[in-house]
Amino acid sequence: MITSTHPPAADPESKLRPSRYGIALAVSALVIVALIASSILNYVFLDTVPGRTSLYGLLAVALITLGTFILVRAYNRDRATRRVHLIRAAVLIGIGVLLWLLVIDVFLYTQSAGPGVAAVCALACLPTTAFGLWVVRRMDRNHKEPWRLVLVAAAWGAIVATSLVVWGETVWESSAQHTLVPGPGLDTSLAFMAGILEELAKGLAVLLLFLVMRNEFDDVVDGIVYGAAVGLGFNFLESISYMTNLYSIFSPEGFGGVAAGIQWYGRQVLGLFFGHATYTAYIGAGVGIARQLPSMRMKVMAIGAGFIIAIAGHFSWDAWATFFPIQNTLFGLVEIHLRTLIMTGPFTAGLIALLLFGIRYEGQNLLDQMQKEAATGQGAILPQEVPILASPWQRLRQRLQALNRAGPSGYLRVSRLQTAQLDLAMERWHRERKEIDTPLEAEQQLREKVIQLRHWVAA
Amino acid sequence: MGSVTDIQLRTLYRTLLVFATVGVVILAIGLIQFAYFERPGQASGVKANIVGVYKYDPAAGQTTGPDRAEYARNEEFAAVVDWSSIPSNLTVDARWYDSFGSIEGEVGPGTPAGLTNDKVVPVQVPPGYHFVLPGRYTFVVERLQDGVPVEVLGRRFVLVDRT
Repeated sequence: MITSTHPPAADPESKLRPSRYGIALAVSALVIVALIASSILNYVFLDTVPGRTSLYGLLAVALITLGTFILVRAYNRDRATRRVHLIRAAVLIGIGVLLWLLVIDVFLYTQSAGPGVAAVCALACLPTTAFGLWVVRRMDRNHKEPWRLVLVAAAWGAIVATSLVVWGETVWESSAQHTLVPGPGLDTSLAFMAGILEELAKGLAVLLLFLVMRNEFDDVVDGIVYGAAVGLGFNFLESISYMTNLYSIFSPEGFGGVAAGIQWYGRQVLGLFFGHATYTAYIGAGVGIARQLPSMRMKVMAIGAGFIIAIAGHFSWDAWATFFPIQNTLFGLVEIHLRTLIMTGPFTAGLIALLLFGIRYEGQNLLDQMQKEAATGQGAILPQEVPILASPWQRLRQRLQALNRAGPSGYLRVSRLQTAQLDLAMERWHRERKEIDTPLEAEQQLREKVIQLRHWVAA
Repeated sequence: MGSVTDIQLRTLYRTLLVFATVGVVILAIGLIQFAYFERPGQASGVKANIVGVYKYDPAAGQTTGPDRAEYARNEEFAAVVDWSSIPSNLTVDARWYDSFGSIEGEVGPGTPAGLTNDKVVPVQVPPGYHFVLPGRYTFVVERLQDGVPVEVLGRRFVLVDRT
C-alpha cells in the first residue's frame, strides 16, 4: 500500500558540505602544486621544444590573465551582477588552464612525429572516444548524467591525469632502469608503476567530482559512468601518444602508418572499454557505493577497494599480457582478441555485474519514490505516469509519441519533463536516506519546476 | 542499515570487497614475481668493466672511433667488455635491450674466461629492418644463477636518435 509521505528534511546538523569542500580544496591545491612542479621539471629535464611550448602557451596565459582581471573586478560589483562575472572569470581561467595543459601534453607526447601526424591520430581517436562516452552515458538507464560533467571527467582524464603521471613515471622508470635487472623483474616494477600512478591520477578526478558535485553523483551507477569517462579521456591521449611514437619509430622502415593503425585498433577499438575505462570505472564504483554508506569506515573501505581493483586490473594487464602467446601467423589476430578477452574480460564482466545490480537497485528505489510522490497528490508525478517513468523504453515511447505529435520541440519538452521528474524522485530518495545537504526548499523548487514543465508540455 | 534497499547496498559493498580481495591476491602475486626475478641478497660487489660503446663495422667485425652515448639511426654500435674484470667462478652474460625491452644482441651465458673472444657485443639490426630502432638502449653484463639473471655487474645506456 502506498502512503503519502513527507520526506524528512536533511540533517540540520550535517557538516558534510564544509568538510567535503575543504577536502576538495586540499586535493585541488595538491593537484595544482603537482602540475606546476611537473611542468617546471618537464621544462628543465624533459622538454626539447621549450620555444614552441612558450609560444603556443601564450593564449593560455592571456586567458588566465583576462580571467583573473574579471575575477578581481567582480568583487567591486553589486551582488546581482557579481555572480555573472565570477562565472565568466571561472570559465576563462578554466579554459586557459586546460589549454596550457593541452599544449604541454601535445608537445611532451607527440613532439617526435610532428603536429600533422598528431592531428591525424587525434582525429582518428575522436569518433571512437566520442562513441565510448555516448555508450557510457547511456548505461545510466534511469537517470543520465549531464553531458558537461561527463565531458569534464573525460577532459580530466585526457589532460590533467596524463600531466600528473608524466613526471612520476619518468622518475620511477629511470630509477628502475638504473637499479633493476632487465627482464621480468623490471617489467613487473613498471607494471606496478603504471597501475599505481595512473589509477591514482585518474581516481583523483572521480573523487573531486564526488566532493564538489555530490548532487550529480548519486550512486554506484553514476560512479561507474564518471570513472569510465575519465578512463576514456586518459585512453584518448595515451592512444595519440603511442600512435605518434610508433609512427615516428617505424616510418623510416616504411610502415609507420601500419604501426600507428595497429595501436589505434588495439586501444580505440579492442581496448576502448577493456582497459582504462574498466579500471577507472571500478574507482567510480567504489566512490559511488561509499556515497550511500552510513559509516566513515565503510566509506573509506569502499573507496579503497575501488582503487585496489583498478590498480590490480591495470597491473595484471601490464605485467602479464606478454605471457600470453601471440603467434606470428594469421591465427595471431585471433589470439590478440582472445588475450584481451581473457585478461581484461573478467574485470569488465565484474564491472558489468556491479552496473546491472546498481541499475536495478537505483530503479527500484526511484520507483518507490515516484509512487510516494504520486501519493502526495501535489501533481508533480501522477499515478499513471509512474510505470512510464520507471521504464526507459516506455519513456522513449512517450517521447517518440510527442515527436509525432509536436515535432522535435515536443520531444525535447517531454524529455525535460521526464528528467525533472526523475530528478525529483532522486532528490526524495537521497533525502529519505539523509544523504543530502540541500534544504527541503530545494525539493519544493524541483516540484514546482516539474509542474511548470507540465504546463509547458501541455501548452 | 535494515531495509531492503540497504540490504541491496550492503550486497554491492560486499561484492566490491570480494573483488578487492581478488585484487589484493593479484598484487601479492605480482610482488612474489618481482621478488623471484629481483632476488634480495644477491649483491656480490663485483663490477664488470664495460670499456665503452663504439661505432661498429659489421662487415669487419671491428669497432672504431670514440666511446659515445648517442648514435644516429643509421649507425651500428657495439659495447666492448673487459671480461677479465670479473671473477672466473661466475656465470655471466651480456645483453642489449631496446626501449621495448626486447633483446637486440647478446653473448653468453658462460664463464668470463669462456667469453674472452666475445669482448665485442654488437647491437643487432632486427631481421627485415634497415636500421636499429630508435630509442634508449640498455647494455648490461649480468650474473646468472640457475639460468636466471640475478645481478647486474655493469650497465650502460645509449640513445639512438630518431633522425
